Amino acid sequence: MKNIAFLALGLLLAMPTLGADWKMDPVGSKLEFVAVFEKTPTPGVFKEFDARLRFDPDKPAGSSLDVTVKVTSADMSIPDVNKEIRNKDWFDYAGFPQAEFRSTDLRRDGVRYVARGTLSLKGLKQTVEVPFTWTDSGSGALMEGELTLKRGDFGIGLGDWKSTDVIGAEVKLKFRVKLRKG
Amino acid sequence: MLRNDADSWGAPSKLLHWVMAALIFAQIALGLAAVGWRLSPAKLDLFVWHKSIGMLILALLLMRLWWRLAGRVPALPSQMAPWERWGAQISHFLLYALMVALPLTGWVISSASNVPFRIFWAVALPAIMAPDKATADLFASVHGWLATLLAFALVAHVGGALRHHYIKHDAVLARMLPWRSR
Repeated sequence: MKNIAFLALGLLLAMPTLGADWKMDPVGSKLEFVAVFEKTPTPGVFKEFDARLRFDPDKPAGSSLDVTVKVTSADMSIPDVNKEIRNKDWFDYAGFPQAEFRSTDLRRDGVRYVARGTLSLKGLKQTVEVPFTWTDSGSGALMEGELTLKRGDFGIGLGDWKSTDVIGAEVKLKFRVKLRKG
Repeated sequence: MLRNDADSWGAPSKLLHWVMAALIFAQIALGLAAVGWRLSPAKLDLFVWHKSIGMLILALLLMRLWWRLAGRVPALPSQMAPWERWGAQISHFLLYALMVALPLTGWVISSASNVPFRIFWAVALPAIMAPDKATADLFASVHGWLATLLAFALVAHVGGALRHHYIKHDAVLARMLPWRSR
């Protein structure tokens, strides 16, 4: 019994070097994107996504971040636009219902962190850097950040829509991920 | 001469009449083109032009109504029959009513459809209606019928003016022409 207790204690002490495993709490988490429509910022949201994180804020090296996004859950709250973005020229729901981000390394950068990795979206892979802040709240934590992507890098907006006069080239991605240890 | 008097229009009234006439004809063409165009960046731009000019017409109309109500309106020729006077009154009232109703119903469609819009790509137009697809569809058809009514009212207006000039040989058309002093 005593040995098992020691073993457990030893494992607990050893854990932080690997980083804790964190699971996303969908309630309180949000993944938004802001496109530019006729020079006007136009927000949208991916209603379904999931993030998994192995992370030690004090030793970010060796940490990892995996995110899957159900692209088909996109909602721009404009019926005509929602009908259009499912098509091949835009997200192509039928061909590519899911997007993924897999980090290859994670580092500290001042008061924030940066997860560098590969984003696969609409069948195209690009290396992106995801900066985030980390707020610990005892049993849970909050990860927040934003990054800017070029829609053309992922073939989003084909044909006439490649022109960036009407629908801007850049799309801002904003996330707020509520995590609990799991 | 700025002010209208008993038998002539002042410069502000003439300027507003002809500028708005040009804008209204352009507006009808833009509206038809925007609705008929296949979905493309060009279609979205046509809508921005149509909505922007609509708001410009509404602003000019408010100035025009203020100028008309603050000043006087030249009298109709004394030899006109009662039915002709009634026709003139009714058709002018109808034109003013449509110049108010068309921009306002357009504004409702724009708000209810939730499509982001900035007047001439610069000034955000506030919403006057919560986003609602059914409202947008209903007002789109009302807007279309009002535009059809406007087309008939314009035919009557132009036809009436030509009748005054070429058949009745009075000054009603001539006194609105910019290059005539009366």
